[in-house]
Amino acid sequence: MKICMLTWEFPPRIVGGIARHCLGLAKALAKQNHEVHVVTLDFPGAPAFEDLEGVKVHRTKTDLGHPNFITWTFIFNHFMEKKVATLNQDVGFDVIHVHDWLTGPAGIASKHYLNKPLVSTVHSTEIGRVQGLHNADSYLIDGLEWWLTYEAGKLIVVSESLTWELQRHFQLPPEKIVVIPNAVDATKYKGEIDREAVKRRFGIEPFENLVLFVGRLVPQKGVEYLINAVPQIIRRHNEAKFIITGDGWSKYYLENLARSTGYDDRIRFLGFISDSELVTLTMSADVLVVPSIYEPFGIVALEGMAAGVPIVAVNVGGLAEIVEHDRTGVLVYPKNPESIAWGVNRVLADPGYSQSMIQNAKKKVQEVYSWKAVAQRTIEVYEDACRR
Amino acid sequence: MDLRGQSIPDELYLLCALHNIGATSSDRSLTLEEISRWTANEPEKARENLEKLMRTNYVIVNFNEGVERFHITTDGIRKVLSMYS
Repeated sequence: MKICMLTWEFPPRIVGGIARHCLGLAKALAKQNHEVHVVTLDFPGAPAFEDLEGVKVHRTKTDLGHPNFITWTFIFNHFMEKKVATLNQDVGFDVIHVHDWLTGPAGIASKHYLNKPLVSTVHSTEIGRVQGLHNADSYLIDGLEWWLTYEAGKLIVVSESLTWELQRHFQLPPEKIVVIPNAVDATKYKGEIDREAVKRRFGIEPFENLVLFVGRLVPQKGVEYLINAVPQIIRRHNEAKFIITGDGWSKYYLENLARSTGYDDRIRFLGFISDSELVTLTMSADVLVVPSIYEPFGIVALEGMAAGVPIVAVNVGGLAEIVEHDRTGVLVYPKNPESIAWGVNRVLADPGYSQSMIQNAKKKVQEVYSWKAVAQRTIEVYEDACRR
Repeated sequence: MDLRGQSIPDELYLLCALHNIGATSSDRSLTLEEISRWTANEPEKARENLEKLMRTNYVIVNFNEGVERFHITTDGIRKVLSMYS
């Protein structure tokens, strides 16, 4: 098939899970001999066009701007639309696949003027991300999300919990929605690493326990609950140190919160780090904590499982579907520092228990969460959308 | 300032505006006066926030024929994207 994928995030423009999802899916589709064109936004240093293992990546430049984010979104969608139209003249796409509301307007317009089937993957919803609709921007984003779910012939969602959320909030018919979970490229974690050297590079002695968080520093990710759990973890494991990777608009607040615990010398904020560094850091961690308050999937947990790190995750959304308590990780209560501390302490106190979870988790990743399987199921959705 | 119901610092609001108007590389960098006009900020306030953003490496300044021109860094871009992703 000839596929046009629209996403505002694509490597090296990586913020959350969407970029990784699109890269993994596009590469797997190309490997199965489909012609995949990704239309995305430009990024300093990245070429306007590149062929990435068979995936044709087109980075559009947005020549106009406006300080308001939503206005800017509509402007870049216009430039994407123009790119899709131009490409279609040569390629003749079979299907347009949009990832989240941000590229929805370009996808919907392309569906109508090119007369192509539209498929959309919903990675999360506005009402979930910000836990309610609080102002005009949020209402508009929520409206755009509804509009996209209405216009798309088929919807892909990454977990059962997101299916229920969409059915409830947008009153969507169940037959329109297909659950295809995220996947992970487990080969990234196959190499041997010197854990002690990696730990030292990040200021942690080999005998110290590395408790890791990976993600955006925004309220949705629940980092404050992990920071509030730090004193209770240190009381049991005085050798624990905490690394928080990623950035976001809550960073100042979280840094202040870390200082208020009195253990800010144990908590290090790394900011953004390269993908290769993230892989080695994850493989060196003693426990990976996913404390989100809203998580439709939770690709970070899956990456931790593939990397052979014990996972402590909150029992919400997609995390509750990926992590099987006591078998592939530890599930704890959301928004609850005591529960997070309990989970981390449990993992750190019992290496045998951790090892069995690591083995089970690795096996589950290999069996269930491969990009090959995700690509195959996605093609079935495309074919279904084309028949309608 | 307010982002979908939650408070964000003024300097991050400015960072977001710089990103959205396209000041994302040296060839698209803007002077203090242009930034003030685009964002409806007094020059003093805009400078104060730009300095905060430069200290955290989200914005850099370069000089073109003696004129200061500002643009956001790749980390600055990612920071902005984290607000809406």
